[in-house]
Amino acid sequence: MSATRIIDKKKLADFLETLSSDCEVIIPTVEDGNLLFSELGSSKLEDSFKGRPIVSPKEYLFPQKEKILAFDTTDKVNVDIKAYTNDKKRVIWGIRPCDLHGIKTLDAIYLSDFVDTYYQARRKNTIMMGLNCNEPCETCFCNSCQTGPFASEAYDVVFTDLGDKYLVKVGSDAGQEAVDKIPNLFAEATNDDEKKAGELEEKSKQSFQRKVDVDVAKQNLPESWDDALWAEESEMCILCGGCNFTCPTCHCFNIEDVQCGEKASIRMRYWDSCQLGGFTQMAAENTRENQAARLRQRIFHKYIYTPDKYDGAIGCTGCGRCIEVCPVNIDITHILGRVASK
Amino acid sequence: MQSKVLTTCEFCGCGCNFYLGVEDNSLTAVYPATSHPVSQGRLCVKGWMGHDYVNSYERLKTPLIKERGKFREASWDEAYKLIADKIQQTKSQYGSDSIAVFSSAKCTNEENYLLQKFARAVIGTNNVDHCARLCHASTVLGLSQTFGSGAMTNAIGEIGKAEVIFIIGSNTSEQHPLVASQIVAAVKKGAKLVVADPREIQLAKVATLYISQKPGTDVALINGMLNVIIAEDLLDKEFISQRTEGYDELKELVAGFTPEKTSEITGIPADKIIEAARIYAKGQASTIIYSMGITQHTTGVDNVISCANLAMLTGNVGKESTGVNPLRGQNNVQGACDMGALPNVYSGYQAVTNEELRQKFEKAWGVKLPAEVGVTVTDAINKIESKDIRTIYIMGENPIISDPDSNHTEQALKSLDFLAVQDIFLTETAKLADVVLPGVSFAEKNGTFTSTERKVQRVRKAIEPVGLSRPDWKIITELAAFLGYKMEYDSPSDIMDEIAKFTPSYGGISYDRLEEGGLCWPCPSADHPGTPYLHKEQFARPGGKGKFFAVPYRAPAELPDDEYPLTLTTGRIAFHWHTGTMTRKSWTLDREYPNGYVEINNNDAAKLGIRNKAMVKVTSRRGEITLQAKAVNTIQEGLLFIPFHFAEAAANKLTANNLDPVAKIPEYKVCAVKLEGV
Ligand code: SF4
Ligand code: SF4
Ligand code: SF4
Repeated sequence: MSATRIIDKKKLADFLETLSSDCEVIIPTVEDGNLLFSELGSSKLEDSFKGRPIVSPKEYLFPQKEKILAFDTTDKVNVDIKAYTNDKKRVIWGIRPCDLHGIKTLDAIYLSDFVDTYYQARRKNTIMMGLNCNEPCETCFCNSCQTGPFASEAYDVVFTDLGDKYLVKVGSDAGQEAVDKIPNLFAEATNDDEKKAGELEEKSKQSFQRKVDVDVAKQNLPESWDDALWAEESEMCILCGGCNFTCPTCHCFNIEDVQCGEKASIRMRYWDSCQLGGFTQMAAENTRENQAARLRQRIFHKYIYTPDKYDGAIGCTGCGRCIEVCPVNIDITHILGRVASK
Repeated sequence: MQSKVLTTCEFCGCGCNFYLGVEDNSLTAVYPATSHPVSQGRLCVKGWMGHDYVNSYERLKTPLIKERGKFREASWDEAYKLIADKIQQTKSQYGSDSIAVFSSAKCTNEENYLLQKFARAVIGTNNVDHCARLCHASTVLGLSQTFGSGAMTNAIGEIGKAEVIFIIGSNTSEQHPLVASQIVAAVKKGAKLVVADPREIQLAKVATLYISQKPGTDVALINGMLNVIIAEDLLDKEFISQRTEGYDELKELVAGFTPEKTSEITGIPADKIIEAARIYAKGQASTIIYSMGITQHTTGVDNVISCANLAMLTGNVGKESTGVNPLRGQNNVQGACDMGALPNVYSGYQAVTNEELRQKFEKAWGVKLPAEVGVTVTDAINKIESKDIRTIYIMGENPIISDPDSNHTEQALKSLDFLAVQDIFLTETAKLADVVLPGVSFAEKNGTFTSTERKVQRVRKAIEPVGLSRPDWKIITELAAFLGYKMEYDSPSDIMDEIAKFTPSYGGISYDRLEEGGLCWPCPSADHPGTPYLHKEQFARPGGKGKFFAVPYRAPAELPDDEYPLTLTTGRIAFHWHTGTMTRKSWTLDREYPNGYVEINNNDAAKLGIRNKAMVKVTSRRGEITLQAKAVNTIQEGLLFIPFHFAEAAANKLTANNLDPVAKIPEYKVCAVKLEGV
């Protein structure tokens, strides 16, 4: 791709506003102390911020609740069916490296052997602009998972905060096209700029509070199947589902036909959680009979099943959301630490 | 395009905050508030997944009037006129006191304030009450007598820093998940946890000590602990002498509750009673957490007083991370009480019998007000038969499922001259109404809820009312107009200004200030920061001292016998809310627990030849229900537990309307039943 550039911080708004002329632009914004993704225009662009929103940007590709089709059985022979598709064009700016990686994982799951058309329609129309993390948050361990704190892949464009300007790297044709829309906002990056970014990356890497030996943990996991740790770690779980809902790579959903008229319904799909007892309950029971088995599933899915199925990369980005969102402090880094030390 | 609206959870008293994602007038997403001191980015499953009911097709969308036993759609004016006529008629024929009004702990403060004003100023009766009668009436009375204020003494965030936590009669992880979160955090930091509950609740797994008292023996248990504390000189003498009165009587009474005697009553081994007392008394900051396991007894008030005795005896009140902390169930049950949706008080617990206060409200509302205390929810139902109550107006409650002895409640409501119900669904109760008015959910209106920690927080409108439904506060003002009384407010913010003006504890609360976050009452003036914990220098009682009451042990009203050999206790589960009106229409929650069940000890099940998951019939003197058995080892032998959410297996067909003599709260936690296979 083309050379690295810089953009003045004050000009970022101009850039994003230009892009918003023919698409929706999503940015992270702080409202009442809460970091949220929001639409440019209705919210302010932060000068700088730490961390990532508590709900990952996967919801722009795989929403919390989504209409998939509508049907009306008034005429029993010719049932009226309408499918929903969503191909709204979108740019998401400020996606953290962990979440860029999360979307890469979702791509593997939803766009390979089985193609999810709903996901695909959204994904094709989404441009992802990353923002590297100069300062990791308290719960994250992306460095251990090799997804951050600076992105090396899975972005259309990625930004690094250099104080009064951003260093800008382009990672795809779509990204290039976006940047080329108003080339005069960007300048060539100097060696100093690149050097500064390198220093920031090093400094960020040094400031992680959590560290996991992923390789050893992965290696030991199969052995831990019957270990008491699963029961011990899961005993206080209150079944909120938050760990799954906020995770950038959790992708399970359930489907419900929701009545919306006398004979009309809308088929909705919505996020599901493998921590709940009713998850994949078919004719009889949830095959994972207790919370220990369900917690084990959550960790095995990320660290064993996903790499087995898709090119060896783990399904955990180390974003730390499942730690932050858990009301009873069930902590994946603590669990992996226990596994690694067996 | 999606918008996000910050609001307060509509389920439990924890008062979590989240953003609702809104698209096309539908709720499509939830985002926990990371900056909220209780939520901190976390929610329970109801907060995450409990809001589908808002956009349910079954929502009431237009007023309904019943004609020849069938509902027909009606215009608002027609419905208002009919209700107004019937109220007028009842009033002129039988007097204002033959009308009762049930307010709602699900509705906002502003709505509760208006509805009690409606009862008092428009109808002219103090017959206004709400479901707090059924959950924490005993708390309000018990803590007012001992401390002078009937609310949680300390803030939720302080629990995480306590040294000792004593939970009695609260299944906190299921009922108040985000309070349980504080408890788990405290335990991780090394706090000692004592759990006393007839069921081995989830938190018992991380408890330093778990004790299992027989249902209804809490007074004895606490008296036993007081006995040990006095005998071993673990009491806080300075606190007792300087800040309390009534100690000598207490001392005399609890002398009889030796560990051995207490053990006989409660079924807890004597050494465990001693251990519990020692752990609690030795903590530098010990906090008591209780809920319906304490309040829903014929000895509810006594139980509450006992908790207060325990805290005062050891000086564990009036400091951070201590206190007596009743966890209020409903999102706004605290607020509904604060607003005076009670038969004896105006907002801020100002007694209707107090001449001066009554005059204040007469002046404010421009009418003469009744001086006599009104009837409670439970009494109102009982007074229908004798025709002392002829017309009832209900806002957002479903007494048929929530009140004890459902069959009796249903019969009673059917025999009313006139019943009007304001709700969001055609509930079991609304079906019996003559007129039904469609109110709105929490997502369709502005207002405030007061959480269990006395924190007043904003509820913000996210979507437009569905169909022709109207915000409940609007309905009350419009109905008042039909009765010739002007209630003029542009918005709920105006109503809050009136509340603040006439309610000392809410005096400093305004919507402007709430934009910065919630405020804990008492908050008497605009520059007052709010009060996270109560009774710091002195108690709120007149004279400023806390008062011990010596409470003897009384057994529950209905004990098992040969015919009904088992004890039934009832409660909630994490996935559902009360009568299920909302949660059973929320997809994930309904999937998790679509049906009712009865929890039974494995050994009892084996004795009765009942397999796990078999259908069984549970019968009491009042009714029977059929449901699935769930055999577990976490419940005492001889005890059954049934969640009361399920209309088709309604636990309250079995429960008895045995009331606490003062608080009139029913004894949901103990009644005698039998169980057999079907
Ligand atoms: S498992 Fe936890 S840390 Fe890993 S990606 Fe999911 S939420 Fe983030
Ligand atoms: S976030 Fe924690 S409590 Fe909630 S389901 Fe996950 S592990 Fe359980
Ligand atoms: S803990 Fe209570 S307030 Fe918090 S999300 Fe759950 S139901 Fe709502």
